[in-house]
Amino acid sequence: MKTFKIHRPKTVEQATGLLPSRRGPAEIDEARPMAGGQDLLTEMKSYLVQPESVVDLGAVAELEEYEVGASLRLGALTTLARIASDTEIGARWTALAEAAASVASPQIRTQATLGGNLCQRPRCWYFRHEDAVCIKKGGSECFAESGLSKYNAILGGGPSYIVHPSDCATALVCLDAEVTRSTKRGERTQPLEEFFTLPSEGSVMRENVLKADELLLKIEVPALPEGWKSTYLKFKERASYDFALCAVALSAKLEGGKIEDARLVLGAVAPIPWRARAAEEFLAGKQSTPEVWEKAGELAMEEAEPLADNAFKVPLAQGLIQKAFKSLTDGGAK
Amino acid sequence: MTRDHSSDPEPKSLSRRSFLKGAGGAAASGVFVGELATGAKPVEPTRCLSSEETLEGDVEVTFHLNGESIAVTVEPRTTLLSAMRDRIGHTAAKSVCEQGNCGACTVLLDDEPVYSCLTLAVKADGREVRTAGGLAEGGELSPVQAAMVDRDGMMCGFCTPGLVMSVTACLEKNPRADEAEVRQACSGNLCRCGTYPHVFQAALDAGRKMVASSNSGSGSAGGGR
Amino acid sequence: MSLQPKKNTKDGQPTWGERDRLSVLNTDTRRLSAGAKVSGEALYSMDQRPEGMLFGRLVCVPVATAEFTLDLEPALAMDGVEGAIVLRKDKTLYNGQAVAAVAARTPELAEDAARAVKLEIKPLPWAVTAEQAMAERAPQVLGRRPNYGPRGRGDGTTGDEEETMLALEGAAYRVESEYHVPVQHHCSLETHGVVADYDGGEEATIYASTQSVFGIPGSAAREMDLSRKNVRCVVEHMGGGFGSKFSMDVAGKAACALAKETGRPVYVFNDREQEFQTSGNRSGSTQRIQAGVDEEGKLVAMHSEMEKLGGLGPGPGTRQPYIYDVAESFTREHSIHTNTDASRAMRAPGHPQVSFAMESTIDQLAYEAGIDLVEFRKLNLSDPVYHRQLDRVAREIGWADHPHKSAPGTGDGWTAEGIGFGVTIWGGGGYAGCGANVRIERDGGVISSIGVQDLGTGVRTLVAMIPAEEFGLTVEDVDARIGDSHLPQGVSSGGSVTTGSVSPVVKSAAWNARLAFAEHLAPILSCEPGNVTFADGKVFDRASPDRGLSWQDACAALPTEGLTANGEFVDDLQASGVHGAQAARVRVDLKTGQLTVLKMVAIQDSGLVLNPLTWRSQVNGAMIQALGQALLEERCMDPDLGLQINPNFGDYKIPGSLEIPELVAIIDEEDTRQAVIGVGEPPVIPGVGAIANALQNACDVRITSLPLTPDKILSAIASQS
Repeated sequence: MKTFKIHRPKTVEQATGLLPSRRGPAEIDEARPMAGGQDLLTEMKSYLVQPESVVDLGAVAELEEYEVGASLRLGALTTLARIASDTEIGARWTALAEAAASVASPQIRTQATLGGNLCQRPRCWYFRHEDAVCIKKGGSECFAESGLSKYNAILGGGPSYIVHPSDCATALVCLDAEVTRSTKRGERTQPLEEFFTLPSEGSVMRENVLKADELLLKIEVPALPEGWKSTYLKFKERASYDFALCAVALSAKLEGGKIEDARLVLGAVAPIPWRARAAEEFLAGKQSTPEVWEKAGELAMEEAEPLADNAFKVPLAQGLIQKAFKSLTDGGAK
Repeated sequence: MTRDHSSDPEPKSLSRRSFLKGAGGAAASGVFVGELATGAKPVEPTRCLSSEETLEGDVEVTFHLNGESIAVTVEPRTTLLSAMRDRIGHTAAKSVCEQGNCGACTVLLDDEPVYSCLTLAVKADGREVRTAGGLAEGGELSPVQAAMVDRDGMMCGFCTPGLVMSVTACLEKNPRADEAEVRQACSGNLCRCGTYPHVFQAALDAGRKMVASSNSGSGSAGGGR
Repeated sequence: MSLQPKKNTKDGQPTWGERDRLSVLNTDTRRLSAGAKVSGEALYSMDQRPEGMLFGRLVCVPVATAEFTLDLEPALAMDGVEGAIVLRKDKTLYNGQAVAAVAARTPELAEDAARAVKLEIKPLPWAVTAEQAMAERAPQVLGRRPNYGPRGRGDGTTGDEEETMLALEGAAYRVESEYHVPVQHHCSLETHGVVADYDGGEEATIYASTQSVFGIPGSAAREMDLSRKNVRCVVEHMGGGFGSKFSMDVAGKAACALAKETGRPVYVFNDREQEFQTSGNRSGSTQRIQAGVDEEGKLVAMHSEMEKLGGLGPGPGTRQPYIYDVAESFTREHSIHTNTDASRAMRAPGHPQVSFAMESTIDQLAYEAGIDLVEFRKLNLSDPVYHRQLDRVAREIGWADHPHKSAPGTGDGWTAEGIGFGVTIWGGGGYAGCGANVRIERDGGVISSIGVQDLGTGVRTLVAMIPAEEFGLTVEDVDARIGDSHLPQGVSSGGSVTTGSVSPVVKSAAWNARLAFAEHLAPILSCEPGNVTFADGKVFDRASPDRGLSWQDACAALPTEGLTANGEFVDDLQASGVHGAQAARVRVDLKTGQLTVLKMVAIQDSGLVLNPLTWRSQVNGAMIQALGQALLEERCMDPDLGLQINPNFGDYKIPGSLEIPELVAIIDEEDTRQAVIGVGEPPVIPGVGAIANALQNACDVRITSLPLTPDKILSAIASQS
């Protein structure tokens, strides 16, 4: 890591005041916010970012909200370990608890925060390699597009083909969460789904709407309506400690063998958590049968445009959708 | 992952080669702090960093390492792992991947397992750090350590202090952890020699011993403090 | 005391003794260093911190091949930087090759200094993949020699190609496949490196992470311009080698040179990325195999061509038809050279690659002929040891109740289960050249010394167990001293020779010490030396076991200087030649392509197993490494960038706690040889083939390209339906 200094603000206002108004290229980044540091430190160790200073959010009490009530309110500093071990979250917002528990390893979950998890940078091996200056690092090319693309996007890609690495993001979009961030004009709350940006929409060097001097403050998840259940199914190439090769978050109201309504979000297939709207529309009101699950999978993958090495993600996502429905149907609590 | 990278590597590689970054780069203005093995001195835990808003250059950090209060001069960028290994010569935790991938550097920070390679030393200020070097009591190995010895839960042993800490964290919370829970607890630790089966057996043995000794009242279920 | 025994014909040559009369050897014995390892007290070479030590760091060229210029001045001008050296001036030949090194007072400063070195790079055209190396107008990575050709051991051809093709044509069943094995990495957790402890004087101590303690002093002395006799190598503990650590490597060279330049101790270890890029690997290969059997299922012909991918090196010389009996066999082996670091020995060099292709071929042929997979193997393996071993693993894996013995299964639409087999072969014997001594102190202490390193195999424990057995003591009574070039000569740990080379010499030293001690004690016990018996911590006349001396009292009768005996290699105490069989049971998730290994069974004949506990650790570990090669591991090179894009433990995946199946490691008790044999290598060989075969057995999907990842399996399943 390049040398840096650490600021230790106590309020959001102090913290955002320390952040630069614009984000420069990695080498001259003035300051970066750090919560658990579990992603930022790996980026800094690989010289992907070399900030002059790090704004340590650890002492900002405003970010520590934790309320499990009618809705779920989680400050940005909430650790993943806490979410994963909260039995009430597990019972009521199952997909989120499962997603948090699936992240990385126990050691990471101790320190990693919800805010950091949602704002973490991509895992694409080109992006993470210091010597490959890809389009996300200010270069002009997505090396995965013409290179080794097994782990990359099949949906929503271009000009960058990263996949969003966050497990919690996929689950929270499925659970219709809202995100609150600080802006120059005060706090702003919006659906989490709108927080994430495709490389073709916002800046290709970012994955969300957060500006350089803004902070993600908290997440609010509404209670699931009566009769709804949710699950997060993460598929990893290596069962121990891996990022998703593909993931499915599913929440649905199942009654008497019928799918009253469903919300289906895919992870690790696109640069953002990918809402499978066509599948959702199809599923509403259908009988919950393997044939219907299969059809939903087909609809979810209708627009997939695989790269050279990742066509397998199409049947994988379809298989996981079927498994998610099977799990919700068989699993009872899930 | 076979694709046809057509016969001639030249034209394409040239088009991409210019995006390779050269080595070198700007010289950082490094400031020398601390001296190996002399940077540490036992102190009373009176002084904390908590009052300071900005940390820069030489920073004196104070933390409890295996119960002993230690002050060490570090840089803001110094990791807890490097502070232990390279500043005060405490080498129980190992440096293997430096990216939070392998768990050889696992320590307990206020009783929770963390990667000390992904923890800045300044973040340990005023906190309790436990390594495999601090588990034995009165010269007697902890139940986890003793079981690892009995079951041969190690080969080259480079991953072992990290695995000992992951298993310890798991069993201190729940000495009745079953094998599935033990495996989950160890899922952030890599072992190349392949000692896992004996580690799992050892963890289950240790858990049973901890339960038994807490039932008999002759020791704490925590096996630690 | 110079007590050396007269040749005692009654005692004759040392033997290990009958197995059922052994009390220390051949019984589960806790690893001697275990306590130190679990408490973090064991000092690895990377943990050595001599006073005043500087932290060194390598400067590496981050492209596949390049010309470059270096300017160390910006680094040397930095506060806290104490030295900088040039390691290489010629063009670099592979990504990450080190060209300079710096030493500074903290690791952070060393990192800054390495980046401050001004390195101007002119990349040259490269070939980092086989396709690139074989392309027209490809740059010649070795200079004037072509990228393709017979280079290494085993390269060239064997057999009669024409006869083989004729025999193939006459075969009742034929199969043909092309197999791809990617480059695998050793992934030693402790990287390559050295702490060179030096104060500017005439002597130095080198703490190296090495498999060859005695290989270090010479090269370190040359690097530091010191007399070899004044350079000592110490390896108290080392964190894994697997074949990659026979020399100091560039990190060691840099540490020595920087120590010499600064007159201070210097630490240089690879970081993980350097370790992946520059510290060796298991060569990959492409194999094209045609094979055929007659109506009965006997192998009549096999034609195999292999291109070995050893980077700048040639790759090892193992060839088909590997262990199986084939009437007519032809092989052609070539090397393809690329701008990647040379492959090195890695646990059974060359074997898993060849075994994977051969075991796959065997199953395909068995299915073609419709013959039970176990019976088919027995039909084509003449050595009866394999027959009993295959039967044993078949029993253990549940073959009798398995529904898919001669044709693959399909599963239930969600999952499928299958079983696969493989066999193995190795030498494992030792050779003469080691020295050892056993010293008995007047206070009862026993010191058993040999300079050999312990890679984690448990050699240190054997060095104590052997004298403990000899004197009727416990392992804890013996102080084993190893890992030091000032101790008697050890052996390099490669080829599973360590146990076979070390144990006989230690046994001989202990034996000689016992005879000498018996002669000394005979008058005191009023009996013949041949009747002096050591057992249960006592020494007595065999005729009157109730009387006698405690071990302590017996030792007190020694002269002040105690007793020391040297050992020599005794051929009969070791043997060579082992077999083995393995079986794997897997489950395939047909919706995700996930391959889960549920159980693996290994049986291995290895003569007299001195410590069954550490033996099982070794065999378990070998199965797990094979599982990693089968399921996860692959060096991924981007051809256009010339870079390895997964040089870290996040993207280069090795097995973790959730990959581990139920493992059963069985000592083949029918091998009654009273001789020791090393076991490091053979059990790593057959697992890959067994797992690949189990995949096909489960769901009729054959993946011919390792690793067997979900993307390939799922694509194959999708194309099936």
